[in-house]
Amino acid sequence: MIQALIDSLAAAAQGLPMTLALWLGGVAIGIVAGFLIGALRFFAPLALTWPLAAAVEAVRGTPFLVQCFLLYFGGPFIGIDLSPVVAGLVALSVYGAAYFSEVFRAGFMAVPKGQLEAARMLGLSRPQTVLRIMLPVMALAVLPSLVNLAVILIKETAVLSIITVPELTFRVQGVGSATFAFAETTLVLALVYWALTEATSWAARGLERRIERRMAA
Amino acid sequence: MNPVLQVRALERRVGDVEILRRISLDVMPGEAIGVIGPSGSGKSSLLRCIAGLDPISGGEVLVEGKSARPGDGAIGMVFQQFNLWPHLTARDNVALALKLVRGMAAKDADAKAEAALAKVGLGALGGRKPAALSGGQQQRVAIARTLAMEPRVLLFDEPTAALDPELTTEVLDVIRALAASGVTMLVVSHEMGFVASLSTRVVFLDHGVVVQAAPPAEVFGGGGEPRVKTFLKTYLDRVAWTKDA
Repeated sequence: MIQALIDSLAAAAQGLPMTLALWLGGVAIGIVAGFLIGALRFFAPLALTWPLAAAVEAVRGTPFLVQCFLLYFGGPFIGIDLSPVVAGLVALSVYGAAYFSEVFRAGFMAVPKGQLEAARMLGLSRPQTVLRIMLPVMALAVLPSLVNLAVILIKETAVLSIITVPELTFRVQGVGSATFAFAETTLVLALVYWALTEATSWAARGLERRIERRMAA
Repeated sequence: MNPVLQVRALERRVGDVEILRRISLDVMPGEAIGVIGPSGSGKSSLLRCIAGLDPISGGEVLVEGKSARPGDGAIGMVFQQFNLWPHLTARDNVALALKLVRGMAAKDADAKAEAALAKVGLGALGGRKPAALSGGQQQRVAIARTLAMEPRVLLFDEPTAALDPELTTEVLDVIRALAASGVTMLVVSHEMGFVASLSTRVVFLDHGVVVQAAPPAEVFGGGGEPRVKTFLKTYLDRVAWTKDA
């Protein structure tokens, strides 16, 4: 049993870099794409953006597991033949983008109308108002939600094991399959993910406190 | 002398509802017009239409003979909810439009912002963010921000409605000082004593119509129209009750 725990930890150490790389990549691409989608859906007329809205709803309305299967096993039928790692990164990015876009869209809507009217009365142009007022005010409003979503995405990376991405879960489950020590390996998995989410949440809280202090100065 | 602000047969309709009905008003330089009336009478709508923030259905608004639009510098507006930008210090709130719109160098804009803040009694607090200021201080920053752009006419839309009585006083004192220094203004307020002492003329609005436009002594001194008297009696009864209690 001790041996199984040690083996699991070793496997976890092997899989951790892949998990972190996919997570960071997925969050980075997801935030950039999500911002663009959210901004388009807020500023452009509905007649142009309804396909985006439909895509976001489709991603939000289906399980991540199903999306991974569709991309990895269904992709080759329409000429999208991706390696497990690339498919995993794409799936995570698309999934993240859909949720991040909703956070950004809500953030744009949350900017008080009066602050924009004040800018208008003082003669700021529309681009100036967006860049100097809307974006900073929106960024402050959405920061906690962005961080929360990023932390959730760490856990979603575990799903990628199902399409054989050699990340944390895939590696540790390998030990389980070889030794039948499923309880030990799963326990290690749970503890490692928990430690990861605690660490990121802790870092995020520090960041939020710093920003709050700057706002109250 | 020509009027600074001319409102001519101003109308605003939303669907079938007439918010403002053919309102005309000439404001001379240095005048302080107090706009009073019951809630929903169109006071804020009148200010927002003059500012160009709400579309008008008829008539026109002229500042120094030219039709005004938001942001052209002719009209400044102070809002009930202050509407400061929360990510900027008080100084930057005032200086931003000076830099972006007037094209002033950062150093000059900051100096002018400091001067405007000093004028509203906030010389020492320019480095603070809105969240670190009281409501009264925030509203004074908003006044400084508008003042710094040197508009021809200043509009105040219930500037103290979001403040408690103590903070109200500090804001009203600032507005009073501006009026005394000759700033042309329209002030929508429920502070009757303030309106009476500040205004050169008082406009009473009800259901989108100007019921009376006269010097404060006339409006508040018993010479008012019947509708105005009823309104003021309700107000005075409430003040009397507050004093008794």
